[in-house]
Amino acid sequence: MKKIDEKIQEIVIKLFDDNKIDLFIGYEGGTLPLQSRPFFIRREAGQNRAAAVGKLVWNSFCSNNLAVYLPKYFENNPFKRKNEQTPKLKVGIAAKGCDLRSIFTLIKEKQALRENLVLIGVPCMGMVDKRKVLSLVHGDEIDTWVENQDGTLQMTTAFGKSITVAREEALQEACRECRFPAPENTDFIIEGKSREAGNGGYQVIDEFEKQDVKVRWEYFKKEISKCIRCNACRQACPTCYCKECFAEQTDLRWIGVSTELTDTMIFHLIRIFHQAGRCVECDACYRACPMNIDLRTFTKKIVKDVDEFFKYRPNFSMEETPPLSTFKEGDCESFITEP
Amino acid sequence: MEYGIIRKDDLNKLLAFAGKGAVVYAPVETERGVEFRRFDGETEISFQCGNAKLSPKGLFFPQKETLITFSGDILSGITLPEERSIIFGARPCDALALKFLDKIFSDTAGRFPDPYYLKRREKALVITLSCNEPVPTCFCTSVRGDPAGKEGSDIFACELADLILLEGITEKGKAFLTAASSLLGEPVKDHFTRRDENIKRAEAKVSTLNINGLKEKLDSRFEDAAWEPVTNNCLGCGACTYLCPTCHCFDITDETNGRGEGIRIRTWDSCQYPLFTLHASGHNPRVNKKQRMRQRIMHKFSYTVENSQAIFCVGCGRCIRHCPVNLDIREILTTFHTIVTPE
Repeated sequence: MKKIDEKIQEIVIKLFDDNKIDLFIGYEGGTLPLQSRPFFIRREAGQNRAAAVGKLVWNSFCSNNLAVYLPKYFENNPFKRKNEQTPKLKVGIAAKGCDLRSIFTLIKEKQALRENLVLIGVPCMGMVDKRKVLSLVHGDEIDTWVENQDGTLQMTTAFGKSITVAREEALQEACRECRFPAPENTDFIIEGKSREAGNGGYQVIDEFEKQDVKVRWEYFKKEISKCIRCNACRQACPTCYCKECFAEQTDLRWIGVSTELTDTMIFHLIRIFHQAGRCVECDACYRACPMNIDLRTFTKKIVKDVDEFFKYRPNFSMEETPPLSTFKEGDCESFITEP
Repeated sequence: MEYGIIRKDDLNKLLAFAGKGAVVYAPVETERGVEFRRFDGETEISFQCGNAKLSPKGLFFPQKETLITFSGDILSGITLPEERSIIFGARPCDALALKFLDKIFSDTAGRFPDPYYLKRREKALVITLSCNEPVPTCFCTSVRGDPAGKEGSDIFACELADLILLEGITEKGKAFLTAASSLLGEPVKDHFTRRDENIKRAEAKVSTLNINGLKEKLDSRFEDAAWEPVTNNCLGCGACTYLCPTCHCFDITDETNGRGEGIRIRTWDSCQYPLFTLHASGHNPRVNKKQRMRQRIMHKFSYTVENSQAIFCVGCGRCIRHCPVNLDIREILTTFHTIVTPE
């Protein structure tokens, strides 16, 4: 049975040969342990395409959300008329459930063109949480690592230790809770097994909300105080694509740029609020954060609220519009009439 | 006193002594990772293999610093910090980076030495801990550093199992050891032999890359097509610049209370951010990620070589470890070092 990597590579070679794409975005192996990273293949003369396609991988370390790269390929030049814009690239992309849901959100928000995209949906068994695994070898460095057929992760360390971790223990929390591991509505679907869908993990929020407000506030303060305002979370998020972020506006200046706690809190609250109806819980923000801030609790709260108030979950549909982009006559207006 | 030896278990006593009349900072493990915190006498100091996640640059060039206060038209200067500080556990790469930051903030060629940074530096004593176990992302020896480099240190410390061998490098460092002599023992030849063995082992372990003549190659390849593939992944997140011990871009903003009173603050900035090089006209000569990452590499490996006679990279590996998309500066450097342009 061909592995997923090989199936993807086959499709990509054909797409290039048939001139269906100008660019392909997938993953290749990284230079750090337990890391695969985004990889771009362009249809350029002179590039050894077979060698490039041969580098495409699909394993348990393909955590990055590739949708984040799309908006820039479809942006319009503001200094040219609509009918004078340069033609947009045709982009192929290998994507798992969360990536695809971000891509569909971007399409619905007119940040990407469906007709210029070739989507290869890949069934997902969940991705390994590098941070979790590294904490198991705390103080040591991972030397070699192998993903076994049965899904266990076998590693040796720089100090000569041997460690085996069961897959379930090593997975990203987001993957454990994911409701959408099987891709839908794509141009190609790679044959393979997906995880069993999770339950969305709202119980974590319910548990959190049962606590006294002072306890919740202290937790929020403690997590947000770790922030160094590097903006990695914003940059890693596929649906944070504003050309001018609210946090950087100077006319008017909404928030300060320092690590003053009030500024940092407002930054995170507003950024996460802006993801309402758009956050797919890919955890790109959580992984990008160099300071280990627990952003997940806050993003999940927004996702839960949108689900409960608007009965909407960002999914693979091209028709359902995100709630904050639409107005329906039955929408609640009490916040206007009875503030 | 030039040399002293102390048991690791007694290190707290030495730091408590240092704490009389000075604030002591040491690397401790927090929820964010290993960082330099005020030493409280109790928290265990981290002797982990690699360097601290947040470099000690933040102790001299804080993420947020108030420069002046104002009330209407009246400006008031800030009282510069008078406290002495002792930084224990900086790594040789961190200490070397401080020497580079010194060049920038003392602005000897210009007219504006930075009193905020310089006052803190003047009042600080840096005790560097040499690296016995470099990690795979370390490459200090390729950028003129060393796991046992002494530049930038007042005192050089080496772990020998359960002992620490201290060497005073500067007059300030030697004076400190003399003052603390009652807590220190006299090291013997064996201690020095073991230290030298550790150093040799560490030097052999550090990964290397060849960047001879890189500046000239970068200068001639500014418009090279190779910049695009090596920077495709970049998210422009800025994590590399914030964790980098030599990056020093800053922004200055005013914050007021609406009644005309306020503060002027300096905060960390990054060449990877959207506002970098944005002109008032709306034009931005470095608008995309390829141009910005190229800027970062050129700044560190070409422009600072011209302006400050140093490569502003100490091979600490933080940018590699914490990049969310595994952009590896070593790969970029090697790409440009080995590109063969047809004659």
